[in-house]
Amino acid sequence: MSRIEQFSYDNAIVKKFAYATIVFGVIGMLVGLLAAFQLIYPAANLGLAETTFGRIRPLHTNAAIFAFVGNGIFMGVYYSLQRLLKARMFSDFLSNFHFWGWQVIILAAAITLPLGITSAKEYAELEWPIDIAIAVVWVVFGINMFGTILKRRENHLYVAIWFFIATWITVTVLHIGNNIELPVNMWKSYGVFAGVQDALVQWWYGHNAVAFFLTTPYLGLMYYFVPKAANRPVYSYKLSIIHFWALIFIYIWAGPHHLLYTSLPDWAQSLGVVFSLMLIAPSWGGMLNGLLTLRGAWDRVRTDPVLKFMVVAITAYGMATLEGPMLSIKSVNAISHYTDWTIGHVHIGTLGWNGFLTFGMLYWLLPKIFNTKLHSVKLANAHFWIGTLGILFYAIPLYFAGWTQSLMWKEFLPEGILKYGNFLETVTQILPMYALRALGGTLYLGGFFVMIYNLYKTVKGQTLLANEAAEAPAREIVVPHKGEHWHRWIERRPVQMLVISLVLVLIGGLVEIAPMMLVEDNVPKIESVKPYTPLELQGRDLYIREGCLGCHSQMVRPFRSETERYGEYSKSGEFIYDRPFLWGSKRTGPDLHRVGGKYPDSWHYNHMLDPESTSPGSIMPPYPWLITDDLDMSTTADKINVLRTLGTPYEDGYDEIANDDLMAQANQVAKRLRADGIEQDNLETKEIVAIIAYLQRLGTDIKPSQQANQ
Amino acid sequence: MKNNKVKYFISTLSMLFLTMAVWAQDAAVAATPKEGVMEWMLHNMVLVMGILVVLGAFVSLLYLNNMLLQIQKVRLLEEHGVEVMEEVKLLDEESWWSRINNKAWDLVPLEKEKDILLDHNYDGIKELDNVLPPWWVAMFYISIIYGIGYLGYYHFSDYGLSSHESYELEMEEAEQAVERYLATKADMVNESNVKMLTDESELSLGQTIFTTKCVSCHGLAGEGNSIGPNLTDEYWLNGGGIKNVFKTIKYGVPEKGMISWKSQLRASDMQRVSSYILSLQGTNPANPKDPQGETWTGEDEEATEDAIGMK
Repeated sequence: MSRIEQFSYDNAIVKKFAYATIVFGVIGMLVGLLAAFQLIYPAANLGLAETTFGRIRPLHTNAAIFAFVGNGIFMGVYYSLQRLLKARMFSDFLSNFHFWGWQVIILAAAITLPLGITSAKEYAELEWPIDIAIAVVWVVFGINMFGTILKRRENHLYVAIWFFIATWITVTVLHIGNNIELPVNMWKSYGVFAGVQDALVQWWYGHNAVAFFLTTPYLGLMYYFVPKAANRPVYSYKLSIIHFWALIFIYIWAGPHHLLYTSLPDWAQSLGVVFSLMLIAPSWGGMLNGLLTLRGAWDRVRTDPVLKFMVVAITAYGMATLEGPMLSIKSVNAISHYTDWTIGHVHIGTLGWNGFLTFGMLYWLLPKIFNTKLHSVKLANAHFWIGTLGILFYAIPLYFAGWTQSLMWKEFLPEGILKYGNFLETVTQILPMYALRALGGTLYLGGFFVMIYNLYKTVKGQTLLANEAAEAPAREIVVPHKGEHWHRWIERRPVQMLVISLVLVLIGGLVEIAPMMLVEDNVPKIESVKPYTPLELQGRDLYIREGCLGCHSQMVRPFRSETERYGEYSKSGEFIYDRPFLWGSKRTGPDLHRVGGKYPDSWHYNHMLDPESTSPGSIMPPYPWLITDDLDMSTTADKINVLRTLGTPYEDGYDEIANDDLMAQANQVAKRLRADGIEQDNLETKEIVAIIAYLQRLGTDIKPSQQANQ
Repeated sequence: MKNNKVKYFISTLSMLFLTMAVWAQDAAVAATPKEGVMEWMLHNMVLVMGILVVLGAFVSLLYLNNMLLQIQKVRLLEEHGVEVMEEVKLLDEESWWSRINNKAWDLVPLEKEKDILLDHNYDGIKELDNVLPPWWVAMFYISIIYGIGYLGYYHFSDYGLSSHESYELEMEEAEQAVERYLATKADMVNESNVKMLTDESELSLGQTIFTTKCVSCHGLAGEGNSIGPNLTDEYWLNGGGIKNVFKTIKYGVPEKGMISWKSQLRASDMQRVSSYILSLQGTNPANPKDPQGETWTGEDEEATEDAIGMK
């Protein structure tokens, strides 16, 4: 036995992250509620651009994922890592840099997203300066984690740490890969990928943000906190090994299931389908190992709220990871995609799995680091039931809404016409479900407040064990003993584990993405597709700023019910100048890919000013600021230049005359509006003109005669 | 006793099949060819729920049956004692379900757990060396085999249809179905045979359609607004008269902003709303939009040839 060493665990950093989790949990969910209420009462946007659905929806998702769950991850990692390695964090300075850096990033997101500064890529909306800051802070976290691993006193790495390592390296790769962009100015950039390629890279990222930010780190946390709280051994070491490696290898392939029936080539879609199905077993491996660890402790589950939260969290994880693959089956996806079914599905994951595991950790860990007992077990139990009820009230109505709406979209009369040809009918039909969903969200948040009160009473008047004394023997170099499990080898070698994880997660991404970049056949060229005019380009960036893609897709799928409703289905060659792609993932309003030329300019003008004037009962908010605000033309030249650098064929020197073209087109639009009797001073200089020009361009590059030759 | 069980089982099962047979007829009517399994299930939610309820009832019956058996056994045990029971082989052997269950999980019983406790210890967390649950392993293999089969079927064989091919097929089948349906309706209204309706109830149906679909661009009384033209004067952009109005509604005039309604309205409904619109002629509502287009004098003439948007 080697010398026993004295050291201490840093609990101060755990406390900081715990408090940040709670604060941003409240904020993220409040924003979510605001968004939910706007779907029933559009006026709940308070009439402000900054608080309108399109802009706060990304704020809600970012806050929930990166602020609430993100801080939850760090809280759990900083607590468990030190104890699993028998070592204090590598550097207190880096710990604090990580903490404050992350909070500053969240603050920056909370400011820029409502201002409409967004790259429009789901869960990666933040613009380039913040992307760089995220990369820096994430690397600091990595150094701090790896520094701790290298100075550990424990010889072998526990399964939780495998998951932390895989999380760190994969998120690094994903974040960089999906944010390769060229700045136009401080708050605007264009990505290097366009159209279909951009879509594939985005959902390689988007899907794996779920996988490696919401799943793998939480699995790591489950492996620490569940056996600790239940005081039971982990059910199966073998299962840990198999499901860990299988999960990280297979997960990365599944991204294309977000793009089924889109213009993505069939082969890539099929890879997405089959790898999603193969994910069931590795995911359930995690659930089984978690639930079976509770064997022999089930009697305590009835009384201990911490275990209750954990059991429901793990069950929700199991349900969501079975449902996910089911939704990836093409015939199911044909029904579920673009509907609220997906929203219900992801909230089972976030509210159930991430939320409840976070609550379980908070109830367990905060009393520990304050060396006290939980104020009230009764209140924690109350929180559990309110929260569970909240999840049910949230998810069930949305499942129902999704099925209802999808069936209405697809229903034909025997004469061959759509039964619900007016999209709006399918929206007003499900509004009661939206109201129930908002109730579910309110309940869940109500439970959260019960927890805050309980935890406040728990820590009030107690002193934090900022530096918790610990001791452990120094690490010796172990000689592998005969008959040990082959996997013990890599558990002693964190660097090799990092490298192998990296190689495994790169394989899937490369096999899918590289051919899309290199093989031209994957995106058949369409001669008539031309770059956007300067006015349309500016209009497109307004569409991005307002977050229109939060409710409107631009992807007509090859179904009769869609081509009858919207027009010819979308072809990959139509999107080659789309930076970023704007296919969207949810249809709260109708698809817009073929909206060009469908309505007169004056219809769009009135519709933006007051959606209910043209579409009675619409839940789209009014956009009066588009009509009163002047279009910012100062960016046109820079945008043209950046796009030319990226490969859009604008001629040399076009940047200098682009604004002349812009004004000429704006004058035409304004003239048409005036001809219909719309009187407004300086109409041609307003933002509305640009967005109308963009909407009227959408989907018009291919004419019916050319479609026939496809 | 055993006999009883079998009888019970058979009678429950036959009841189930009887009800199933009744339903199967409904299902045969309800299911349309080429519908996906999921769509079929969604279309027949009541049926699916019904089947689930019947299954649930069946399981409950089995459970109840089992309970009765157990009570019976306890009674016999009390009356005759263990020896007699063992002799006539009435005591429980392992049920088939728990045998399968045990095989599927291959769990080490809690009391023997210490035999498989590994010497791992991480902050007090220990690990057991349970085997992978066999059913889980099987599921993993099946999903992999299915994946290989799926890729082979869709990308390396001639059977699997591409997205584009299945779309073409869907359209073709739908077209045939619509044609078959329309063949049974000889009096279908179209732009060459449409007649003006004057019946009060038809016009009021037309008004309902007008109020829900048309007023946002043509005003509540058809007076026109900043989007669409006045429909109450004698000036027409795309020709007046029932045939032209019907055709304009049906196909739209996209470059002038009129959208096509043929995918949203039945032909008969387009006839009703066209008739209602023409009934507004000369009503002189307030705030009329300035005249647009030409005056129209013809009555029941053929629809103008150059109307746009015709297929």
